[in-house]
Amino acid sequence: MIGPFAGKHFWKDFDWPLLTSALLLSVLSLTEIYSSTMAQPSENFFLRQLAWVVVGIVFLFVVAAIDYRLISEHIPWLYVLAVGSLLYTLALGHRVAGSKSWVVLGRIQFQPSEVIKMVVVVTLARYFSELRASQYMTLMQITKACVISLVPMGLVALQPDLGTALTYLPAIALGLFVRGIRPTALISLLVAFVLVLPVTWFVLKPYQKERIMTFLDPERDPLGKGYQVAQSKIAIGSGGLVGKGLFRGSQNQLGFLPTRHTDFIFSVVGEELGFVGVIASLGLLAFIIFRSIYNARTARDNLGLFIAMGVVGTFFFHLIVNVGMVIGFMPTTGIPLPFLSYGGSSVLNAFIALGLVMSVGRCRYVN
Amino acid sequence: MRQRDELDLLRWRIRFVGYAIVAVLLVLVFGFWNAQIIQSGYYQLRAEQNRIREIPLRAPRGRIYDRYHRILADNRPSYNITLIRENSPHTVEQTAAILSAGISMSREELLDRMNRKRREPKFRPIVLKDDISVGDIAFVKAHRYELPEITVEFQPRRRYLENEIAAHAMGYVGEVAETELATPEFVDFKSGDQVGKAGLEREYNKVLVGKDGFKRVIVNSFGREMGKLEEEPAIPGNDLVTTLDLDLQNAAEDCFAGLRPDCAKAGDHSGAVVALNPRTGEVLALLSRPAFDPNLFATRITAADWNNLITDPRKPLQNRAIQSHFSPGSVFKVFMAAAGLEAGTLNPLRTIYCPGYATFFGHTFACDKHDGHGTLSLHNAIVNSCNVFFYNVGKDLGIDRISRYATMMGLGRRTGIDLPNEDAGIIPSSEWKQRVFKAKWYEGETISVAIGQGYVGVTPIQAAWAMGGLTTGGRLKQPHFVPPQELKKLGFAAGEILEEDYPIQESTVDIVTKAMWGVVNEGGTGINAKIEGFDVAGKTGTAQVASKKANLKGKEYRDNAWFVGFAPYRDPEIVVAVFTENGGWGAEAAAPVAHAVLETYYKKKTGQFEKSTTIAQK
Repeated sequence: MIGPFAGKHFWKDFDWPLLTSALLLSVLSLTEIYSSTMAQPSENFFLRQLAWVVVGIVFLFVVAAIDYRLISEHIPWLYVLAVGSLLYTLALGHRVAGSKSWVVLGRIQFQPSEVIKMVVVVTLARYFSELRASQYMTLMQITKACVISLVPMGLVALQPDLGTALTYLPAIALGLFVRGIRPTALISLLVAFVLVLPVTWFVLKPYQKERIMTFLDPERDPLGKGYQVAQSKIAIGSGGLVGKGLFRGSQNQLGFLPTRHTDFIFSVVGEELGFVGVIASLGLLAFIIFRSIYNARTARDNLGLFIAMGVVGTFFFHLIVNVGMVIGFMPTTGIPLPFLSYGGSSVLNAFIALGLVMSVGRCRYVN
Repeated sequence: MRQRDELDLLRWRIRFVGYAIVAVLLVLVFGFWNAQIIQSGYYQLRAEQNRIREIPLRAPRGRIYDRYHRILADNRPSYNITLIRENSPHTVEQTAAILSAGISMSREELLDRMNRKRREPKFRPIVLKDDISVGDIAFVKAHRYELPEITVEFQPRRRYLENEIAAHAMGYVGEVAETELATPEFVDFKSGDQVGKAGLEREYNKVLVGKDGFKRVIVNSFGREMGKLEEEPAIPGNDLVTTLDLDLQNAAEDCFAGLRPDCAKAGDHSGAVVALNPRTGEVLALLSRPAFDPNLFATRITAADWNNLITDPRKPLQNRAIQSHFSPGSVFKVFMAAAGLEAGTLNPLRTIYCPGYATFFGHTFACDKHDGHGTLSLHNAIVNSCNVFFYNVGKDLGIDRISRYATMMGLGRRTGIDLPNEDAGIIPSSEWKQRVFKAKWYEGETISVAIGQGYVGVTPIQAAWAMGGLTTGGRLKQPHFVPPQELKKLGFAAGEILEEDYPIQESTVDIVTKAMWGVVNEGGTGINAKIEGFDVAGKTGTAQVASKKANLKGKEYRDNAWFVGFAPYRDPEIVVAVFTENGGWGAEAAAPVAHAVLETYYKKKTGQFEKSTTIAQK
């Protein structure tokens, strides 16, 4: 019997360590957002982020309290709603920095592309879990799974926001791998990906090509993208073992770091809190990821397993792309770091994802 | 497949995903370890370089004064647009593109400026535009967030007197050339520094130049100063008081500018004026025409202005007073007379009959007075400037004695004036001709030399110096603008003014100075230089530019006019040499200029001088 809401065991079984990790990251995030936006107090970045964190925590409790199977039952219309919101964004969205990715509702602005990530994750998880048991997926099944994520992904890419569109990939990639596809199919997919790559090159915007070229050769630097990464590495490297101290990073305070409260927030952590702070925050993120993997492995059913793994894929992809970027291992993209980067939609998405993982974890005790 | 096995398989795959994640995380951790532990020192240095900017504080050059502390050269405030490439978020091409729109310079010009300095260290500012307007400043300030690499720099800039007054004496300043940096003269300077390039500015560059300071400030990413770490203030250069008398200078300038009716014949001619105090060697006035505006160089001179200056056939950059030699013409006769008297080849009581020409070695040499002067004494030969008399004097002396005496008296060698690139002039000798032309000296050539033609070439400063030496009894005082005690007062090493005393009989000095008094006061060729109450003496010269036989017409073939005068005629306190290129008669084109200078001197001395010089008010 599927209970719509948690029973008397909810608080007893609640995953406090996971919430604590998320809260510690949020405290760190708020502190560094405060530090990196001290120069623009009128923008109220700190207070706005605080508000979103509070909203995020509420969503976390709500999602964690709902049995994930109930969510799965209602996922088809949520998926339609999600795709609809993306179409609405494309048609009537608010253009910021060349991308139509924002929707304005009253005083609140948000990016549907961020918020609906978990809808896609759950839709995929439901599809994977409903497949009849066999060792490998058929080509038809693979195609269907791909369509589920490619539709929203394509709409986001059209905004055009290629970076965010790419964050839809890890959920399906990880899902396909875990559910199992024939090694030959895996190779075919890889080959297809490699073949599509040069075609993609032609549809890329000039600035996107530039970013990739800059990543391959930072000295190139015609648009100053290499400058951003260079400044980020200077910030991180000059932080040393224990950092320059909160609010005392010169790269941060004097504005040498680009988009330092959003995409490059981790550079601020590196500069002001040093290697110790980096390891601590990476540790917290890793804890959340491995706790999610544990929940996947111990899930009561495949649905829970795929939901948790979808979250793992999404979180981890954000982590390697963002952290890899600030340390110069990855090209510059506008992908935020979950729980740390400034941004309401991103924070909301992270807490909802965590709520799903908690729901999966909690429900293994219920039968 | 059983559900149990399937779940195991899924869990195995999940475990695999876990390992992959651990591996990736380890790579990331390694990245941070490398940056924050291993290379931390390097990045800390880079962060400091980011945060700290060194701003040069330009020291003003010392002022140049005349002898009464009137300003000849001072400074005015100005601003430059500079580029610091270090940490620039743009390539130089992008910077040039954004900047060119606002400061009315083409991209190509800007890139050219940048590329010329591209080998310099990146932190050193490159000046992109000098002496910018208020509009330029506004543009840069308004775009400082887009162009943090661009700053506005304060630079004191040279300002000279208007109307090219004393331009050649002052010289000019400019950015030190890359090739000059390697020379010992400019070894203490660095690229971009302003240094003296000519004239007194160059001669006394080390005295005039200040010491730039700097301030180290904390800047944010927009280049905005957020705090000061340390400051070493600029030390201004030393002010220099020269011996120049601006009133005398203006009198000479007025003549060559055609602003005075009494010396209008010199107007618009090329030429030079040198006024010295022969007792001390002080330079009282020094003019060369055509001149240039040294203010053009104070702001980086434009290519067009520079081209005009160097392609102008009249060579305005050339300081004719010290860097060009000309045939002295009849001025040389005074020295011939002194040489003849000293060598004993000329009896002071000798008379010569002048029929208007004379024949030597089969050639006929003419006198300026074609119907002849009749019988002449030495005194009258000088007063009337008779060629025939001096042909004989020259012939009796012979070229090598002429050479020895003329050189002894200060002709054909550098005076040692404190200006760069002085010309030595030429006093020929048989040895000289052998050395230069690999040819024998012909006696006939001596006849031309005797009247200051032929190979003889003297600079105007030499003419004044040698005349001063002769009339003060054989005492040559090194001409100078800056007395050694002035330099010593400022803490610089300075040698004494050189003094040469050559042997000459008092009677010789007496005979030639009296004769030159006659030139001015007995109806001779120098009558235009006469001043009531001030015993002016002097000698005119009219030197042929082209051979008379060629019979060439045209302004550029007109004779060069000379007058070298002094006053009072016994132990003079001022000597003035005037040279007017293609001016025609020395009596008309040169003597009135000397008169203007001497009159000013005399009026000042007797308290009658009123400041009414025209050029300074123009």
